Amino acid sequence: MSSPATTRPTPPTGETPAEEPLPSPYTPDREAKGAHKQDPTAFSPSRALLQNNPSARNPFLPQKNFRTGKWISPRFGLRQQADLVKLAIRYNVEPLLPLGRKSTEFKATRLAERGLRIKGTGIGQKVKGHKWERTMETRLEDRRKAMMEMPEMIRLWKQRGHGRGWQRWPKR
Amino acid sequence: MAKKVKSRTTAVRLISMAMTGYYRTLIRPRTHRPLSMLKYDPVVKKKVLFLEATKGGKAK
Repeated sequence: MSSPATTRPTPPTGETPAEEPLPSPYTPDREAKGAHKQDPTAFSPSRALLQNNPSARNPFLPQKNFRTGKWISPRFGLRQQADLVKLAIRYNVEPLLPLGRKSTEFKATRLAERGLRIKGTGIGQKVKGHKWERTMETRLEDRRKAMMEMPEMIRLWKQRGHGRGWQRWPKR
Repeated sequence: MAKKVKSRTTAVRLISMAMTGYYRTLIRPRTHRPLSMLKYDPVVKKKVLFLEATKGGKAK
C-alpha cells in the first residue's frame, strides 16, 4: 500500500477534481499512523545486548565469519539455552550464565523497549478506552461516599417512621 | 371515547442508595405512599436502603 488515499474508494467529485488527495476525515489506517513502522537500523538496547565479541565467544550467540560471510550457530541451541536458564533461575545462579536470548536481562530489556511501542503505554499517553473504564473511578468514588453516608441515612429513615415522615426524599 | 382505565396497582422501581445502579421492581397500590425498604445490594454485598424512584427516574 502506497498511501491510504489510493486504496480507499474516493467519492465522485464534481466539476473540479482535486489534484492532491485531501486527508481522510476517517480514522487513518495503521500504516498511515506509522504504528508498525520500525527503523531496522535504529539503535535497540536489547539487540545491543546480543553482540557476540569475536575474541571471547559467547556460546549462547551465533557468530558471523566475516571472511566467508557465514554464520556459525551458537554452541547451545535456543531450546537448550531455555532449559539451562530455567535451571539456573531455579538455583539462583543465572548471573553466572552468559547472556543470551533466554536470559532475564535480555527479556526485561526487550519488554521495556516493546512496551513503548504499545499505544497508550508511553509517558503522557493514554487511550480512550471504553466508557465504563473511563467512568470507573468516579463511579467507585460515588459508591464509596454513598456507603459512608449509609448508616446515617438508615438511622434517619428509621427515625422518621421508615420513610413515612419524609417530606423531601434524599437526593440520589 | 371512554378514558383508559388505570390499574389499581403500579410497578415501581426501588433504587439502591449505595449508587450501584442496582434496583428492584415491586408492585404497590397506586394510592399507596412511596415505598422504601432495607434490602440486600449484591454489588456492595450489604443491606442498604432502597428508595422508590419517580417516573422521571429520580428519587425526590
